[in-house]
Amino acid sequence: MYLPITDNIQNNQVNRMKKSSPDHSLMPPCQVACPLHMEIREYVDLVAQGKIMEALQVIRNDNPFPSICAYICNQPCEEACRRSQVDKPVAIRALKRFAVEFGGDRMIQAKAETTHSERVAIVGSGPAGLAVAYYLRKLGYPVTVFEADSEPGGMLRVGIPEYRLPPKIIDAEIQRLTQMGVEIRVNTRVVSLDLLFDMGYQAIFVAIGAHRGRKLRIPGADLDGTWTAVAFLRHARLRQRVDVGEKVVVLGGGNVAFDCARTARRLGAKEVRLACLEPREGMLADASEIEQAEEEGIVIYPSRTFTRILEQDGHVAGVDFLNLRSMEFDKEGKLHLDIIEGSEHSLAADMAIFAVGQGPDLELFSGLSGIEVTRQGTIVVDHDTLSTRHPGIFAGGDVVTGTSSATQALATGREAAFRIDDYLQHRYPQVGKEVEGRLEGDLLPETIKMIRKTERLEPSILSTGERVESFEPVELVYDWEVAINEARRCLRCGMGAEILFQDKCATCLTCLRVCPYHVPYLDDSGTIQIPAEQCQACGICVAECPAKAIVLRKPYDRRHITEELDHDLKSAAQSKSKPFIIGFCCQYGLFGTGTLAGLWRGAKAGIWIVPVLCAAKVETEHILRAYEMGAEGVFIAGCGEQCARENTAFWIRQRVEKVRRTLSQIGLEPERLETFNLAATDEDPVKALDKFTEKIGGLHLISVIMQEVKK
Amino acid sequence: MIVAEQKPLDEVRRMIAPYQRVLILGCGTCMTVCNAGGEREVSFLHNALKVAQVKSPNGTHTFSEYTVKRQCDPEFLEMLDDKVADVDAVLSLGCGIGVQAVAERFPDMSVLPGVNTSFMGMTSEWGVWDERCAACGDCRLDETGGICPITRCTKGILNGPCAGTKNGKCEANKDMDCAWILIYKRLERLGQLEKMRRYYPPRNFRTIPRPKRLMSKANIDLGENDG
Repeated sequence: MYLPITDNIQNNQVNRMKKSSPDHSLMPPCQVACPLHMEIREYVDLVAQGKIMEALQVIRNDNPFPSICAYICNQPCEEACRRSQVDKPVAIRALKRFAVEFGGDRMIQAKAETTHSERVAIVGSGPAGLAVAYYLRKLGYPVTVFEADSEPGGMLRVGIPEYRLPPKIIDAEIQRLTQMGVEIRVNTRVVSLDLLFDMGYQAIFVAIGAHRGRKLRIPGADLDGTWTAVAFLRHARLRQRVDVGEKVVVLGGGNVAFDCARTARRLGAKEVRLACLEPREGMLADASEIEQAEEEGIVIYPSRTFTRILEQDGHVAGVDFLNLRSMEFDKEGKLHLDIIEGSEHSLAADMAIFAVGQGPDLELFSGLSGIEVTRQGTIVVDHDTLSTRHPGIFAGGDVVTGTSSATQALATGREAAFRIDDYLQHRYPQVGKEVEGRLEGDLLPETIKMIRKTERLEPSILSTGERVESFEPVELVYDWEVAINEARRCLRCGMGAEILFQDKCATCLTCLRVCPYHVPYLDDSGTIQIPAEQCQACGICVAECPAKAIVLRKPYDRRHITEELDHDLKSAAQSKSKPFIIGFCCQYGLFGTGTLAGLWRGAKAGIWIVPVLCAAKVETEHILRAYEMGAEGVFIAGCGEQCARENTAFWIRQRVEKVRRTLSQIGLEPERLETFNLAATDEDPVKALDKFTEKIGGLHLISVIMQEVKK
Repeated sequence: MIVAEQKPLDEVRRMIAPYQRVLILGCGTCMTVCNAGGEREVSFLHNALKVAQVKSPNGTHTFSEYTVKRQCDPEFLEMLDDKVADVDAVLSLGCGIGVQAVAERFPDMSVLPGVNTSFMGMTSEWGVWDERCAACGDCRLDETGGICPITRCTKGILNGPCAGTKNGKCEANKDMDCAWILIYKRLERLGQLEKMRRYYPPRNFRTIPRPKRLMSKANIDLGENDG
């Protein structure tokens, strides 16, 4: 960080003021893992605070189609989540779904103005194509999307079953793009890119996806009744007739295979079986997919190789299998199978679906110069600029990466839009640098030991019966309280405490002594260190540091309570209702315990709530300030047992006792300061608060009488 | 470290009563460590005084606050010139030394003590401090196993224990360990019990003149042949 060098030591407090505002938070692993680098920690925390609209705003900052991601993201963030070192990762995708649905994503209008004359053509309307369209339109370019199918959406539309992504979600995004002025031409297969240039487009983004299904080269693979996964899902999704027979066998063990199996089940197949090379524990599909499929009656046959499709009257009659002892890919990517001799067996079937991979159809590129194709049959583009060697042709999505995730495609699309902008404006590509300031390192066993374990809360899903009857979305949305309690599990990695003012630190070791997680330590040189990768951001050391040398890494966290308090004090002064009471309430607990509704209902006029992000962050000065500005009573309400820490109450009590001692020295009754537990089961916190209000009212009356007597 | 505690608020208010503008001055060293006069305590006292003023307005003050690294070094006090020029009194949350250093630096200013300087001691846990040294100027800790009988024995006797010790506790303060029992155990552990058998004559503290002054520098008169 750059700081102006001053020659005058007197300026050091001015410098401190300047230094107290920078954001020193580190990028958490979830954000690093997300292809879009979304600010996951921030929006999850906003959900935990019950600020759903704000959460959605944060989500929309980095994601053009959050509703789509909320349904189908493959959640690499959850894999990176450090909560899994404690118990289980935070259910980030489900929380995003909650935020987009409760925050009202579908109500948001997108606007764009045309500020450039260069027209851009986008071939393919899958996630990559749509993302490019969205961002280029935002940048002010006239954009046309060409889609060969009758409906836009690419793989989102024809590759993902409706029970995972309802078509109305895609429709809403398409409508928003149209509102922004993106031209979408369906039923328009582009046959020549040169023609597009001739039509006046100055840049082309090719995102034709990987829609060519593969079959294994085994006898009978082309019989009537054999399908590729791509063709099967596409037929099912576009509501073209698919005659699923009684018995369906799906060959493959990835997520696409499960999409096929579960779709077949919903289309009425009686017996659906799924066979794959991988052993049960090595299957590529998500655990939840496997579990839900089995609940739906799909039988899995792992560790099997397929040798032949059996025939009867020119139609599929079954599949021959061999059992495997093991399978592995060697360094060159060649598959080695260890077959158990004599294990031949067959399964009867009238339909066999190959879910063994898919690739792009590259016919569009034939005859074009500068287009390079990989051994896997994908297009080669420059890593930084996403351009091919043919001027003006860019490509991204599955046509470049091979089968990948929708979120990855969106990220590529966003990147491509900015690179196309660079190209059209004749700028040197402003390629983003590697992410700086990441939070690295695992939690230490000592830290983990002190973090309260909380169960991961999954959103509910439809019952098996309801599922197989229709294509209704399987996963339901969280309800309010569950979402908030799940969001509270976030460890807020990388936004903990730091000793910002080393010049003030007296190395008194208070932080080391008060930290519930034993994070601060003395290094070999006798300097106190608060390692960012261990700090849990509880703020106790910040409130206790006698030199006020420690701050939280995010500027918002530093000033939040003061700002909220000042706001309330101002409002209270204007309302003139007497007596007035300031209540510092754990914002998480207000929502997470369901007390908030009761509190608003039960609270009498004159109670002003200052929401705090953990009651342990309330400092003695905040409390005194409330009295100074005229509050007759102050209370602190924590979330009790729900708190991420065991000893929050201890620190609140310490500060309360200190202020009470001061109050009595001033001649104020110590009962004017009270603590409540929002999660209390023995006494309803709302009733307890009512009693407190009455008591303060009584004290107010007494003091008025006393003053009269004095006069 | 020097340990102190903040004076009761009433006393502080009585002291500052004659002065309109008061600078509350913290100290960033010992007073910060013992939670008596660091930046946090300065602003706590500041807030508390403001609340008191609102609740019973007898005389209004305007307060300012500042914390220096160490009040007992004149160089740190130089940066206070501007701040002190604007006030009528300085309420120092430094120890007794700090208060005097500030008074010495600003001879025309009323400097008031905000804390009671209590002892020299150490932290035993968060929020708890214990006395360890009386600054007697004649350290005999080598003979007493590293445990000071002057401070830790209620009676400060040099040839203990006295008859008042029961089960290792002191008759004057029944929760307190008898310093001489601790000394015995420590010497036993070190294999130096013969030091217990020695007689230590009474100390005459009057031979140590006050105020004391220490010099680590040598007195050198530069003659003509030097340098």
